[in-house]
Amino acid sequence: MTFAVTVGGRSVECDQDQALLDACLRAGVWMPNSCNQGTCGTCKLHVVSGEVDHGSSPVETLSDEERCAGMALACQARPRGDVELRPQGTSAARTANPLRDMVATVREISDIARDTRRILLGLNEPLTFDAGQYVELVVPGSGERRQYSLANTADEDKELELHVKLVPGGVATHGWLFDGLAAGDEVDISGPLGDFHLPPESEDDGGPMVLIGGGTGLAPLVGIVRTALRRHPEREVVLYHGVRGEDELYDGDRLTELAGQYPNFRFVPVLSHEPADGYREGFPTDAFVEDVSTARGWTGWLCGPPAMVEAGVKAFKRRRMAPRNIHREKFTPADA
Amino acid sequence: MTTTERPDLSWLDEVTMADLERNPYATYERLRAEAPLAYVPVLGSYVASTEEVCREIATSPDFEAVITPAGGRTFGHPAVIGVNGDVHADLRTMIEPALQPAEVDRWIDDLVRPIARRYLEQFENDGQAELVAQFCEPVSVRSLGDLLGLQDVESDKLREWFAKLNRSFTNAAMTSDGEFANPEGFVEGDEAKAEIRSIVDPLIDEWIEQPDDSAISHWLHDGMPPGQTRDREYIYPTIYVYLLGAMQEPGHGMASTLVGLFSRPEQLEEVVDDPTLVPRAIAEGVRWTSPIWSATARISTKPVTVAGVDLPEGTAVMMSYGSANHDTGRYEAPTTYDLHRPPLPHLAFGAGNHACAGIYFANHTMRIALEELFEAIPNLERDTREGVEFWGWGFRGPTSLHATWEV
Ligand SMILES: Cc1cc2nc3c(=O)[nH]c(=O)nc-3n(C[C@H](O)[C@H](O)[C@H](O)COP(=O)(O)OP(=O)(O)OC[C@H]3O[C@@H](n4cnc5c(N)ncnc54)[C@H](O)[C@@H]3O)c2cc1C
Ligand code: HEM
Ligand code: FES
Repeated sequence: MTFAVTVGGRSVECDQDQALLDACLRAGVWMPNSCNQGTCGTCKLHVVSGEVDHGSSPVETLSDEERCAGMALACQARPRGDVELRPQGTSAARTANPLRDMVATVREISDIARDTRRILLGLNEPLTFDAGQYVELVVPGSGERRQYSLANTADEDKELELHVKLVPGGVATHGWLFDGLAAGDEVDISGPLGDFHLPPESEDDGGPMVLIGGGTGLAPLVGIVRTALRRHPEREVVLYHGVRGEDELYDGDRLTELAGQYPNFRFVPVLSHEPADGYREGFPTDAFVEDVSTARGWTGWLCGPPAMVEAGVKAFKRRRMAPRNIHREKFTPADA
Repeated sequence: MTTTERPDLSWLDEVTMADLERNPYATYERLRAEAPLAYVPVLGSYVASTEEVCREIATSPDFEAVITPAGGRTFGHPAVIGVNGDVHADLRTMIEPALQPAEVDRWIDDLVRPIARRYLEQFENDGQAELVAQFCEPVSVRSLGDLLGLQDVESDKLREWFAKLNRSFTNAAMTSDGEFANPEGFVEGDEAKAEIRSIVDPLIDEWIEQPDDSAISHWLHDGMPPGQTRDREYIYPTIYVYLLGAMQEPGHGMASTLVGLFSRPEQLEEVVDDPTLVPRAIAEGVRWTSPIWSATARISTKPVTVAGVDLPEGTAVMMSYGSANHDTGRYEAPTTYDLHRPPLPHLAFGAGNHACAGIYFANHTMRIALEELFEAIPNLERDTREGVEFWGWGFRGPTSLHATWEV
C-alpha cells in the first residue's frame, strides 16, 4: 500500500512501511536530515494534514507534547494515509542527490592504523553525492544498518572509500568488517545520506575553514577539504585530526602532500592521551582555541564522537564563529 | 449569574502604583484567584486578569475600545487604541498597508538587518555591553523610525520620547473622587509632545507638498481625494501611539526574551545553535514578560455580566494581558521561561478588533535583531555581577541587561 506525501508543493509516493524522509529523498525532495536514526531531531517537521505512525521515534528526540502538536521525525514516521508535511524553518526546496540502494563489491581492505581499516567499495553505477555525505551498510545476517562517511570527492564516484574504527563487541565492526569481510564480498548499501557537505560551488565564497575530525571522523573531512581547496586553491584551511596516540594516526602523508600543494592549508595532528615527539598534545578542539584568536567569518566542520563535536561547537562559538556556519556530523552509536 | 457572596477585596485598597510598577505579579495572581474581574481602587477601574476574562471581553460584541484616563490625557483624541466605528476603521485602514505581512516581507530584512549590524559593530569587540540601551532599544526605534520617515531624529531622542510618554501614559493613579492623583506626572509627557511637534510639524508640512514613501506621508495622503490630506490633529494621537508603544515594545520583547534565555542557559545555547528557534524563543519571551502588560481597555456598551460580576453600561475594564499570560489555568509554571512549553496562543498582542496592528512587523524586527546578535556574539553570557530589574505595570521589560563575552 502506498500513500501520497506532499511537501513544499511536491508530492511523492511513500510505502506504508517506508519512512517519510526516505521517500522524499529518493524522489529528490530535500529536507533537513542528519543522523537518519531518530537521534538528532534535524528532520523534525510539521504534519499539516493526515496521520503518521511515529514508529520508533524516541521520546528524547520527539516529546509527547510535540507529537500532540503535530510534529514528527521524518526519518522515523510512516504514513497512515495521504499526508502533507511542512519542514521546520525551511524555505525553498533544494534538490537532493537521490537516495539509492546498491550492491557494492569490496575491492580492498587495508589496516591503516591501530584498530582502523580503510575499505574500498566498488560500484557498478556511479553514485551522485556531495563530499562529506555518508552511506548505510546492511550488516549481513542481522539486518542491522550502520552509517559510514565517504572520504571521496564527488568525482570519485565509482569506488567508495570508508574509514572504519573497531568497536569491541560491535555488530558491524567486530562481528563483520574486522572479522570475515574479504575482498570480492558483496555488500548491500544505500546512500547518499546526510547534510554534512559544502554548499554548492556557486554559493561557496572561498572563506576560511577549520575542520576537526576525531578518529575516523577524519573520513568525510578528507573529501571536503580536497573539494574546498580545489574550488579555491588560495583559501585558508586548517584541519585538525585528534586521536589518542600516534599509532591511531593515518593518512598523514596524503594530507602533508596536500599541504605542500596548497600554501594556505595546514594539517595538524593532535594526540590526546599518549604524547609523542613532534606532535601537539591535548584535544584538537583546545588546539584550535590556542591557534585561532577569532573565527569570525569562518566556517567550521566537526566530525567524530558526539562529545568531541559538542566540545568543538563550544570552541568555535568561543572564537565567535557564527553558529549557522558550524557543520557537524556525530558518530552516534546506533543504540544511543 | 450574579454572585451574592463577594470575596473581601479590601486588601486592594493598600495597593499602590509604585507596587504595581515594581512587580504587578503578586497582586494580579491574587486577583486571578479571588476575582478575575475586580474593581481596583488605585486604578479607578475594573481590571480583567485571567486569560479567559481578558479574551472574553476583548472579543465581546458588548464591549468596545476606550482609552484609559491617563492614556487619553497623554495622547488626546482620536488615538487608534481608544476609538471605535468609522474612525477606528479609518485609522486602521490608514496604518495597515505598511504593516501587512506580504508588504513587510518585501523590505523588513533590508531595513532591520543593517541597523542591527550597525549597532552591533559599535560594541561587539568590547566583550561587554548593556544590551537594553546599546542594542534592543536602538534597533527597535531605528527600524520603526526609518519606516515612519523619522530618519533625521536620533535614536536616543526616540528612546527619550517613548520613556517620557510611557511614564505619562501609565501615570494611572486616581483619587477616590476620580481625579488624577499625580497631575504633575503628565508634565514630562507634555514636554515630549511639544518637542515631537516641533520636529514632526515641519516634516508634515513637507510631506503635504512632497509625498514620499514614508509611513506618515502615506497616512496623510492615502485614501484622500486629490489635493487633500488628513488633518494633522487627527493623526497626531496615533503618531503618539506609535512613538510610545510601537517604538518601545519590540525592544522590551527582545530584552525580555534574552533575560528568559539567560535564565535557561541550555535553551539559550539551543537557540544560538539553531536560529530557526528564535521565533519560538520570542513568542515565549513576550508570554513570559508581556511588553504591553496592562495599557489598553474596553468599555461595556450595555449592561453585562462577566465572570459573575454585573457591570452597568459604560463600565471601563483594563485588559491585563501580562497577567493573563501567567494564568495557571492555562500555563504550567507560568513564571518560568521555557522555550519548550506547549506553544499555546498567548495574549501578548491582545485580541479582538483592537489587537495589535504591528504583530508581523514587530515579530520580524525582534527575530532579525536577535539573529544578528547571536550570529555576531554566539558566546554571549549574562554578566552576573549586575542584577536584572524589571519595571512597569502598563508596559514592562528589563531596565538594563548587562552581558559579557570573550573577545
Ligand atoms: C552519520 C554517521 C556516520 C558515521 N560514519 C562513520 C565512519 O565514517 N567511520 C566509523 O568508524 N564509524 C562511523 N559511524 C559509526 C558507525 O555507524 C557505527 O555506529 C560504529 O561503527 C559501531 O557499529 P557496531 O555495529 O560495530 O557497534 P554496535 O553493535 O552498534 O555497538 C556495540 C556497543 O558499543 C557501543 N559503541 C558503539 N560505538 C561506540 C564508540 N564509538 N565508542 C564507544 N562505544 C561505542 C554501543 O553503544 C554498543 O553498546 C557513523 C555514525 C553515524 C551516525
Ligand atoms: C513586541 C512588540 C509589541 C507588542 C507586544 C504589542 C502589543 C500590543 C497590544 C497588547 C496591543 C493592545 C491590543 C488590545 O487592546 O487588545 C497593541 C495595540 C497596537 N499595536 Fe502593538 N505591540 C507591539 C509592537 C507594535 C508595533 C511595532 C506596532 C507598529 C508598527 C504596533 C502597532 C499597534 C497598534 C496600531 C495598536 C492599536 C490597535 C488598535 O487599537 O486597533 N505594535 N499592541
Ligand atoms: S532524527 Fe531524523 S535525521 Fe536525525
